[in-house]
Amino acid sequence: MAFQILLNFFLAFLWMFLQNSFNSTGFFVGYLLGLLIICGLRRFFQSRFYLLRVGAVVNLLFIFLKELVMANWAVFKVILKPKLDMQPGIFAMPTTLESKWEVTVLANLITLTPGTFVVDVSADNKILYIHAMDVPDVEDAITDIRESFEKAIMEVSR
Amino acid sequence: MKKNDVILQTVTNVVAFMIILFSLQVFFSGHYHPGGGFIGGLMTSGAIVLLLLAYDIKTVASIIPIDYKILIGIGLFFAVGTGAGSLFFNVPFLTHAFNHFDLPLLGETSLHTAVLFDTGVYLVVIGVTMTIIQTIGESE
Repeated sequence: MAFQILLNFFLAFLWMFLQNSFNSTGFFVGYLLGLLIICGLRRFFQSRFYLLRVGAVVNLLFIFLKELVMANWAVFKVILKPKLDMQPGIFAMPTTLESKWEVTVLANLITLTPGTFVVDVSADNKILYIHAMDVPDVEDAITDIRESFEKAIMEVSR
Repeated sequence: MKKNDVILQTVTNVVAFMIILFSLQVFFSGHYHPGGGFIGGLMTSGAIVLLLLAYDIKTVASIIPIDYKILIGIGLFFAVGTGAGSLFFNVPFLTHAFNHFDLPLLGETSLHTAVLFDTGVYLVVIGVTMTIIQTIGESE
């Protein structure tokens, strides 16, 4: 991934030298041509073609925005209820993500969406302890996070 | 029960670089805009303090193997040297000079000896702040 981006930058600079046009236009054209070449020779690399990963990051961003709006709406409804019949609780969510990066991003996404909040991470980064404002069903909450965030983050690091 | 700081550490690995870059920007904008050596040095040491909070003193000392007391000396040398340099040109102590130079890549740039003086301030501020914090942190 990082190597592909570096190679793309190198190709862009090479194009600038070949064209003798040392400005942003030359760089941009060279970058696009390098992108085409790397896409054509993508089977040489160990990892996927890196634009797919960039797309996965954008996808993660949109999922986050959607969840942000929905979760805020849920909290809004809870706040305006005359009867406080919510069920707060702390539950443990085992995560399948491995690297520190992924765990950090997942924890921050969970914390930034209102209603849920990461209290602690277990010593081996395998279990997240989450405080939720309203969990009638823990299993539902876990599968909800799994379906939305974990899958998207895995898509990025695949 | 050891606390797991994985989130703090991972975020620190990114944010520390941003803080240092911003502190350099503040340092270089000191001549025309708010900023300068003092606030730049404080922010750089702020980034190092963030590293100290996320990791421990031994780790940070191995990452940045600098003796901050020596840094104070280097900074004072910069400041005094800038002041003494003016004596060679038969002008009063601490008289600054500036001129426009045509540098490669940067083009027409105005270089001022006050920047060197500010570098001295910057290094002294980092050195003093980190010496104080590490001395307090190490004394059990």
